[in-house]
Amino acid sequence: MRRHNFGRTTTAATAAALTALALAACGSGGSGDGDTGGDGGTDAEGQTLDVWIMQGTNPSGDAFFEEVATAFTEQTGAELNVEFVEWADAHDRFVTSIAGGTTPDVAETGTTWTPEFADAGALAPLDDYVAEAGLDTDLVEGLVEAGTYDGQLYGMPWYAGVRALVYNTEIFEQAGVEPPTNWAELEEAAKAIKAEFPDKIAVAVPGDAEFTVYPWVWGAGGEVATLEGDTWTAQLDSPESQEGLSFWTGLAEQGLSSEGATTWKETDVLDAFAQGNVGMAIMGSWTPGAIVEANADMEGKFAAVPIPGKDGGIAPSVLGGSHLSMFETAENKDLAFEFIELMTTGEFAQKWGEQAGYFPGQASLLTETLESTDPLVAPFAQQFVEGGGSVPVSPNFGAVQAKKTVGVMMQSILSGSEDVATASGKAAEEMTSLLNGGS
Amino acid sequence: MASTTPVATPAGTGHRPGPAGRRPLGKSLAARIRPWALLAPALLVLAVLLLWPLVRVALFSLQDYGLREIVSHESNWIGFGNYAEVLTSAQLWQVVLPNTIGFAVVAVACTVVLGTAVAVLLASLGRVWRTVVSSAIMAAWAMPAVTGTYVWVWIFDADRGVFNHVMQSLGLQDQPVNWFTDRWSFYGIVLLNIVHHGFPFVAVTVLAGLLGVPKELLEAAEVDGAGGWRRFFSIIVPQLRQVFAVVIILSTIWDFKVFAQVFLMPGGGGTNREVLNLGVWSYVESFGQNRYGFGSAIAVLLTVLLLIITVAYVRTILKEEEL
Amino acid sequence: MSALRTRRSSRAAQVGKGVAVVLLLVFTLFPAYWMLVSALDARAGLGSSFVPASPTLEHFRFVLTEGGFDRFLRNSAIVALATVFVSSLLALLASVAVARFRFTFRTQVLLMVLIVQMVPLEALVIPLFVQVRDLRLLEQLLGLVIVYVALALPFGIWMLRGFVAAVPVELEEAAYLDGATWGRMFRSVLLPLVAPGLVATSIFSFITAWNEFLFAMTLLGGATENYTVAIGLRSFFGQHSNQWGAIMAASTLITVPVMIFFILVQRRLAAGLTSGAVKG
Repeated sequence: MRRHNFGRTTTAATAAALTALALAACGSGGSGDGDTGGDGGTDAEGQTLDVWIMQGTNPSGDAFFEEVATAFTEQTGAELNVEFVEWADAHDRFVTSIAGGTTPDVAETGTTWTPEFADAGALAPLDDYVAEAGLDTDLVEGLVEAGTYDGQLYGMPWYAGVRALVYNTEIFEQAGVEPPTNWAELEEAAKAIKAEFPDKIAVAVPGDAEFTVYPWVWGAGGEVATLEGDTWTAQLDSPESQEGLSFWTGLAEQGLSSEGATTWKETDVLDAFAQGNVGMAIMGSWTPGAIVEANADMEGKFAAVPIPGKDGGIAPSVLGGSHLSMFETAENKDLAFEFIELMTTGEFAQKWGEQAGYFPGQASLLTETLESTDPLVAPFAQQFVEGGGSVPVSPNFGAVQAKKTVGVMMQSILSGSEDVATASGKAAEEMTSLLNGGS
Repeated sequence: MASTTPVATPAGTGHRPGPAGRRPLGKSLAARIRPWALLAPALLVLAVLLLWPLVRVALFSLQDYGLREIVSHESNWIGFGNYAEVLTSAQLWQVVLPNTIGFAVVAVACTVVLGTAVAVLLASLGRVWRTVVSSAIMAAWAMPAVTGTYVWVWIFDADRGVFNHVMQSLGLQDQPVNWFTDRWSFYGIVLLNIVHHGFPFVAVTVLAGLLGVPKELLEAAEVDGAGGWRRFFSIIVPQLRQVFAVVIILSTIWDFKVFAQVFLMPGGGGTNREVLNLGVWSYVESFGQNRYGFGSAIAVLLTVLLLIITVAYVRTILKEEEL
Repeated sequence: MSALRTRRSSRAAQVGKGVAVVLLLVFTLFPAYWMLVSALDARAGLGSSFVPASPTLEHFRFVLTEGGFDRFLRNSAIVALATVFVSSLLALLASVAVARFRFTFRTQVLLMVLIVQMVPLEALVIPLFVQVRDLRLLEQLLGLVIVYVALALPFGIWMLRGFVAAVPVELEEAAYLDGATWGRMFRSVLLPLVAPGLVATSIFSFITAWNEFLFAMTLLGGATENYTVAIGLRSFFGQHSNQWGAIMAASTLITVPVMIFFILVQRRLAAGLTSGAVKG
């Protein structure tokens, strides 16, 4: 396995419907037409399992996966071949490999992508395996729902994550500001930082990072899209949504962000933050590890708070997450599921969650994490529980992401080529059409 | 003049006693088969890997061809629906076509003018300087498109690029500017990149032609009192008609097909729709949106456009008998 | 030597020429220079300086080991050399056919060769992707070589036919008079004389294969171990988007071999273009 430097971008995956954080059983066990044939211990000596794992703004997974590989080989005799794929490239990469029949055996799939790939006939249903392993009562419901397509489970819940407001404590102290609890405070804080540090980025407003945008839409009381009957209507251009967008992009207009940020992805935000150039930014629960990994000097110099709502409270942030999915091209499906089980339950699931700042997809583990008092976990846990939002729950949302509808809107506003009303109107029109299966 | 009546030799071959002519017995068969035997491998490769795919892309463009169809090898004919969508889309007429055609026209003009000027300059230089300058332009030519693009991106990077830095030090701008978001400055950078990479070919080719222009012609003109410009346009340009035809055709073909130089720039891969050109649009629609049929229709459009240009050139400049 | 030099070139003209040369050198060399400076500067990306503020080879070490460019460079070399070999061979045979023989459809073949050069890669990428998949060659260097041979071939044929045509027919006839067969004449007369043209053609094929991006991206997909330099650099950029020193070091590694190669053969290249492209 080559060493990869983690800590880059994310078009990340979003979990649909995690809002109902009910730790109850998922109700979808045991359908499907049974070719499980799993006879417990597998002896797969001499075989190799190809796995794709996403990388982005999370800390390096190299050491972790070496451990997993050792355990996996001990358990099954098979070799594990892990390939790290950039989130930014991943969708194209998946689609191309599905088209070319060169998919791996198992891959981490963003929750919004799982139904899309299942729809293309690329994924193998997991219900029977899950039922046989007795796991169907211990999975986080929201992730199960997101991984279910046409009544069958195609994505095994692995982890969830959430973004909050991460800030540089040194910069905040020197500028004499406190973490904001509403939008007016946030703007004041940013101005104070800019006054104290004219060369730094007070608040990063990236143009190519859709998940940093939705909190402001929701925080002002707007919606991304609403469903009525069978018809989606995008709401990005509602007065509330526009107010949120105006506030967020207005920060950049006042020179509190940076010119370069117009074309930034979340990886660029992480980079700049890790170099100590950013006062505050919307960043994921998985980024603290990556920040320290990129620049050890940052250790202990940053903290997080839930994203403030317009007049206080918490602005919702997308509960994102990943599944582990098995591809139809997997030759030894039992072996593939053994790997999935190893990763998503028990020791390794917990370890990955702790190391990477993710919330586990196994219900019993999640409860534990949410009670953590770690200062770099607790704010995210609070955001997770009290301020979780969901992007439109539709298999077509993947198309909206692939089309970069929100990124396009943000860039036109940030570059000054369109005003908020025009850009959000266009984006809403496009999103409505895509969500309803148009193009 | 060898360089201006190009294909005299092959055209003449037929009239001379060629290999076959000397052995009347073998003429009918061996001589007739030989060219085809020599051509066969190349034609086979071209047929399988260029012509057949062209037919297929046209077939795909008549289908609603998505991931499902690619995986299952099924057909899903929808007639000219994709073309109707492409041709009625505002995106095509307002953004993509102007970006593609406008850019190609400007880029070819700049490349050819700069290349010719450099050739003239090179021809007037002494041996040492000519070697120095031509080595330098070789270095520009050799820079691969992908690395060249990243270097230009780095030079113009909004926050840390040297261009913004210099502009600010000179007091020409107060704030760093993100040059990649605006359509005009975006394509300005692409133009720099393309011209930088493309003019050496023109310069070297035109120089070779210049050196072949008989001195007597120039000297005669000089005796007649013709100035430098006059000599250039009335003697050199007509003499090099063929050379210019070739460099313009090739530059046009290359500049229409610009892909990596746009795709790899910030926002060029689809996020900034103002800067899409036909090639990138086709790629983004097919491999990004799984709309391979729609992407194919765009690709066919690009091909047809290039075909028209190529045929026009071939007809007006390279007369068929010269082939 | 120089056709344009006149005896009346004034001092002002000399100065103008000097300025033009300087401007030209700056324009042509600045990107390469800036690439090298950034690659050698440990602080690249933190400030702009025109000489490396703290020179280091660390960026090169990083990209060659952890960046994986040792492997990308090797893959590209394999692909490019294989492409050069196969495409030159096929182009040579074909160019002899069109330059030395009159046959029915000769004009049509030539026209086709000219016209396929303009076919945009974007139009080929979808069907070729499907085709290479059906051959089960996706994610493999061989699949890439096959495609690159096809891409390099038309230009190779077009260029080489000029060289072949330039070989005087009398030489061939002399060989026949000495009793040589066509095959022997080809080997001992035509081939040596066309060699410079082959060099020029090979350079073009090499560069086509070395620089190609779109097919490398789509055909190699997730097989990072088979990445060529172009797509390797993109993938590296994705992972290290703000580490400009390392990105420039990788770019330098990709560019320098081609650049040296180009400068070494520039005289032949010029000769090749004169008799190839110019004789069009």
